[in-house]
Amino acid sequence: MIGIEHYIVVSSILFVLGVLGIFLNRKNVIVILMAIELILLSVNINFVAFSAFLNDLVGQVFAMLVLTVAAGEAAIGLAILVIYYRSRGTIAVDDANRMKG
Amino acid sequence: MELTSSLGLIAPEILLSVAGLFLLLVAAWAGDRASSAISIAACVVLGAAFFLVAPSVCAGAAGLETVAFGGQFRADAFAGFAKLMIYAAAGAALVVAPAFFTRYAAMRAEYPVLVLFGTLGMSIMVSATDLLTLYIGLEMQSLAAYVLAAFLRPDQRSAEAGLKYFVLGALASGILLFGASLLYGFTGTTQFELMRVAMAGPISTGTLFGIVFVLAGLAFKISAVPFHMWTPDVYEGAPTPVTQFFATAPKVAAIALTARVALDAFGTHADAWRQVVIFAALASIVVGALGAIGQTNIKRLLAYSSINNVGFILIGLAAATPQGASAMLVYLVIYVAMSVGSFVAVLMLRDEDGAPVERLADLAGLSRTKPALAFCLAAMMFSLAGIPPLFGFWGKFVVFQAAVQADLVALAAIGIAASVIGAFYYIKVVKVMYFDEAVNVVRDRSDWAHWALLIISTALMSPLGYLLTGPLSVLADRAAASLFFLV
Amino acid sequence: MIQAFAFYLFAALVLASGAFTILARNPVHSVLWLILAFFNAAGLMVIVGAEFIAMLLVIVYVGAVAVLFLFVVMMLDIDFAELRSGLVRYFPLGLAIAVVLAAELVLGVGAYRAGALELGTPAAETAPLVGEANIVSIGALLYGRYLFLFESAGIILLVAMIGAIVLTQREARADAGRSQQNISRQVSRRPEEATVNTRPEVGQGVQL
Repeated sequence: MIGIEHYIVVSSILFVLGVLGIFLNRKNVIVILMAIELILLSVNINFVAFSAFLNDLVGQVFAMLVLTVAAGEAAIGLAILVIYYRSRGTIAVDDANRMKG
Repeated sequence: MELTSSLGLIAPEILLSVAGLFLLLVAAWAGDRASSAISIAACVVLGAAFFLVAPSVCAGAAGLETVAFGGQFRADAFAGFAKLMIYAAAGAALVVAPAFFTRYAAMRAEYPVLVLFGTLGMSIMVSATDLLTLYIGLEMQSLAAYVLAAFLRPDQRSAEAGLKYFVLGALASGILLFGASLLYGFTGTTQFELMRVAMAGPISTGTLFGIVFVLAGLAFKISAVPFHMWTPDVYEGAPTPVTQFFATAPKVAAIALTARVALDAFGTHADAWRQVVIFAALASIVVGALGAIGQTNIKRLLAYSSINNVGFILIGLAAATPQGASAMLVYLVIYVAMSVGSFVAVLMLRDEDGAPVERLADLAGLSRTKPALAFCLAAMMFSLAGIPPLFGFWGKFVVFQAAVQADLVALAAIGIAASVIGAFYYIKVVKVMYFDEAVNVVRDRSDWAHWALLIISTALMSPLGYLLTGPLSVLADRAAASLFFLV
Repeated sequence: MIQAFAFYLFAALVLASGAFTILARNPVHSVLWLILAFFNAAGLMVIVGAEFIAMLLVIVYVGAVAVLFLFVVMMLDIDFAELRSGLVRYFPLGLAIAVVLAAELVLGVGAYRAGALELGTPAAETAPLVGEANIVSIGALLYGRYLFLFESAGIILLVAMIGAIVLTQREARADAGRSQQNISRQVSRRPEEATVNTRPEVGQGVQL
C-alpha cells in the first residue's frame, strides 16, 4: 500500500518544481517567492511523513519551526520586493542588472 | 537542574537577546536621533558577551559539561573561539556604520538592533549540535542579513543586492532543509552525535543525498564555489559597513558550522564529504583568483578575494584532522583581521562630496596624497597575497602544513600555485596606489574610530603579528580538540 | 482503501497545483494555485495523523502568507482590466476547483476517521503519547525539550517584523509627495512668491 517512498516521491517532485520555478521564471520576482514557499512545503511534507514513519514527533516539531521561519521569510522577501519595486518601477528579474555579474 | 545549567551555558546568547530587545525599545522610543547612542550600547553589549565567552575558550571547555538542552547546543571551546571572532567583527561593523549612513541620512536606530540579532543567530549557529538548532540559528542570521543588505533604501543597488541575496539565500536554505529532512528520515534523529552513530556502517543513498544537500546549502552561506555567484553582486550593492559585516562575522559562523556538521555529524563518513570539500576548496581558490582579475570596483575585488580565502580555509577542513581544524581557526582569525582592515580602508576613501570612492582607478597615486592610508591598504593587500614578512603568510602556512600532514600534498601544491596567481591582483592594487599618476580624488575626513580600527588591523598584519602565534595556536588547538571530543 | 485513494488524490493535486503555481502567467492565479497546493499538502499530512501541523499549514499559509502575497501582488503592477475579463472565462475552472476542494474535505475527514496511514513504525525516542491528541504530544515536546528553540523562533519572528517595518516604512521627511500641513509656512506666505506674471508668445504654452 502507501509507504514512505510515496511521500518522498511527492515531496521530491514538489522540491524540483520549486527549484525550477526559481530558475525558469525571469519575469516576475513574486512567483520566485512563491516557488520558495513550494520548496519549504515539500520539506514540510518530508518531515511530517518521516515523523509518521519513525513514530517520532521531532519531525513535526521541525515542521512547525520551518513553518514559523517560512512566514518570517515571506514577510522579509515581500518587504524587499516592495522597496525594489519602489526604486525601479518593475519586478522583472531580467532588469536586475545594475551590477554586472 | 538541567535547565539551570543549560541557561548558564547560553549566558552570552541570553545577554545578546535581552540587550537586543531593550535597545529595540529604546530605538522605538527615542527614534533615529538615538542611533549613535544605541550603536555604542550595542558595542558595549558585544564586548560584555566577548568577556562572558572568553573564559571557556581559555580553559578549552569540552565534553559533557558544555552540553545544553539535552544535546541541542554545545558551548565548547570551538564554539567560543568562533564567537569571539564573531563578536569582534560585529563590533567593528557597528563602529564604522554611523559615519557611512549619515551621509545618506539613512542611519536608523534599528541598524545596531538588527546587527545584534544577527550576531545572536550566528552565536546559536556555531554552538548548534542539532539540525533544529542549526536551522534556527542560520535563519535568524540570514533574515537579519537580508534586511541589512537592503538597508540603504535610496540606493537602487542596495535594493537589488537585498533581492538577489534573499532569493539565492532562501533557495540555499531550502536545499539545506531538504537535506536535513532526508538526514532525519534516514538516520531517525536530528542530533549530531546520534546521527554519527546511526550513520556508522555502509551509507544509504538517502543519507548520501542528505549529506550532499546539507553541504551544498552550507557552501552557499560561506560563498564557496560553485555557490558563489551572489557574492560579488551582494558585496558591491550592499552598503559598505554591511559588506564588511558580511565578509567577516557570518562567514566565520558559517565556516564553523560547516566544520562542526562535517566533522561531528558526518564524521564517520569523512571520505564521502572530503572529496566535495576538496573540490570546493580548489574551485574557490582558482575562481577567486581568476575572477578578481579585471575587476574595477574595489568591493567586487574584495568579494573575489573572500571567495579565494574561503578556499584556503576549506583546505584546513578537508584535512579532517584536529591540526586541520586548528589551522582553519588560525586562518579565520587572520582573515577576519585582514577583511576588517581592508573594508575600513575602503570606507575611508571618500571624494570631495563625501561620497564613497569605489573605483580602483580613483586610487591612483594615493601614496602621494594620503601616504598613511595607502600604506595601511598596501599592507592589507600584501598580507592577503600571503607575502612572507606579513602575518597573512602565517595563515596560509599553517593550512598547507595541516594539508601535508593529512596526506593532501597535491591539494597543498595546487593551493600554493594558485596563491601565486592570486597575488597578482593584490599587487595590482598596490601598483595603482604607488606608481600611477595621481588623480587626487580621495579626500580624507575619517574619524578616529576608523583610524583606530585600521591601525589595529595593520599592526596585527605586520610582522608584529607573529608575536601572537604562540597563544593563538594554543587556543586554536584547544578549540579544535574540543570539536573532536566526542560525548 | 480510502486512505490510499485520498493519498493519490491529494498527491496528484498538490503536484498539479505546484506546477501551475510556477507556470501561471498571472501572479494572482499563482497565489491561488499556491493556496490549493497548501490545502492538498495539509490533506497529505492529515492522513498520516499529523492533524495539528496540517491545521497550522492552513491557518498560517492560507490565512496569513497567501493573503500577504495577494496583498503585495495587488500593490504592484497588475493589470486589473485583464483580471476582470478573465473572471467569466475562469468561472467554470474556479467552480470545478471549489467542488474538488469540498469533495477533498469530506474525503479527508473520512480518511482521518479510518485511522492514520501506517508508514512503518520503528519505535523512537519521542513517540506520540498514547491516547493523547497529536497537539498534546507536540505541546509537551515544544514547551519542554525544545523550549530554547521555541523562544529562538520567537526572536526570528521579531527580526522579520523589525526588518519588514524598517524596509517599507516611509518617514515623513523622506516622503515629499505626501501632503502635510505646515501652518507657519502657510501664514508666512506672501503674494509675490505665490504668483508669477508671464507674457507668453502667441501660440506658445505657459511654462509652469
